[in-house]
Amino acid sequence: MTPGDPLPKPAPGETPRRRFELDDRGFDEVPKKYRKFYRRLEGPGDVLGPNEVICPVCKVVVRSPRELRPGDRIYCMACMTRLRVLEAQGKLEAQPEY
Amino acid sequence: MGEPVEDVHQLDPLVFWEHARSFEFWFEAVQGYLEGSSFGRHPEVPESVREADERDRLVTVLCNYCVGETIALEGAGSLIRVAPSRPAKVFLSTQTVDEGRHLEVLVHRLLELGVSDPEAEIARRASPSLQEFRRLHGELVRGDDWDAALFAQNVILEEMEFAVFHRHAQLADPRTREVLLGIVKDERRHIGFGENELGRRLKRAPDLQRRLREVRAELDPLILRTFREAIAEIGGPAAEREDLSKSYLQAVTRLGVE
Repeated sequence: MTPGDPLPKPAPGETPRRRFELDDRGFDEVPKKYRKFYRRLEGPGDVLGPNEVICPVCKVVVRSPRELRPGDRIYCMACMTRLRVLEAQGKLEAQPEY
Repeated sequence: MGEPVEDVHQLDPLVFWEHARSFEFWFEAVQGYLEGSSFGRHPEVPESVREADERDRLVTVLCNYCVGETIALEGAGSLIRVAPSRPAKVFLSTQTVDEGRHLEVLVHRLLELGVSDPEAEIARRASPSLQEFRRLHGELVRGDDWDAALFAQNVILEEMEFAVFHRHAQLADPRTREVLLGIVKDERRHIGFGENELGRRLKRAPDLQRRLREVRAELDPLILRTFREAIAEIGGPAAEREDLSKSYLQAVTRLGVE
């Protein structure tokens, strides 16, 4: 971590985040050790979990081992983009942070 | 970076930035989807293009893809010299290899389809719009105009290729599909590199937006025309032709170059 870009600390009284066991979903575009953090979007019926968000740059599903919340920083390794999670119309989205 | 990763999102941003642009990362990434393939596909995939008309339309489209890949190959290789940082130079070296592979697998597919002289066929079937794009992009590259050349190549050209190849793969015969899907996997890195590199530079030099808007006004109609023609050739519905530029338009909006 760098001082200029700290990971958000849980606020006092914040609900604890759910944890998720990530499995390898066959996303073969990143080195093996990172595969479980990504998956492909599987069509219109694909529902994202509370630990998942779509990378707006390359449309891959980015996965986290913990529940995501607005303000979180995540990485899309498939397109090398640093993302910030935000909430829009009641859904989690991500935007690139250049 | 060889040890198991508990949470990739906890990486230091600077470590992430440099690692994801490294040759080491690229090598492990492409191994995942190219190992066991030959000319971009598994050797056992059967040939299913039999009708002369289907073959002819596919050859035209692939010839134009070859022109696009040649533009990107020449550009990525040449831009290494003027890239402003070591990670950018290293990344472009990986992109150069990717583009060379794309050109090779597409030419190989043309040979499989019975094209005896791919160079002559590519020259004969290349879209005038794409040839004009190549000329203008070449001028930007030769002028050492890093921002404009990267924008033309990794945002305008690569974003459109990403969308069109992905859609074409869904409609294509199994051999062409596998070749295109392999290329799309590489293109994710290329579009990400272009947007992130330019996004960082635009933050530091907002005046750059005006220059990139000029480049966009001149070059993106050429690419949009080329890829709309390609979608028509492969049988995509007319309504879809507009949709294909959606991802590209979202990228330029994020960069503030709309």
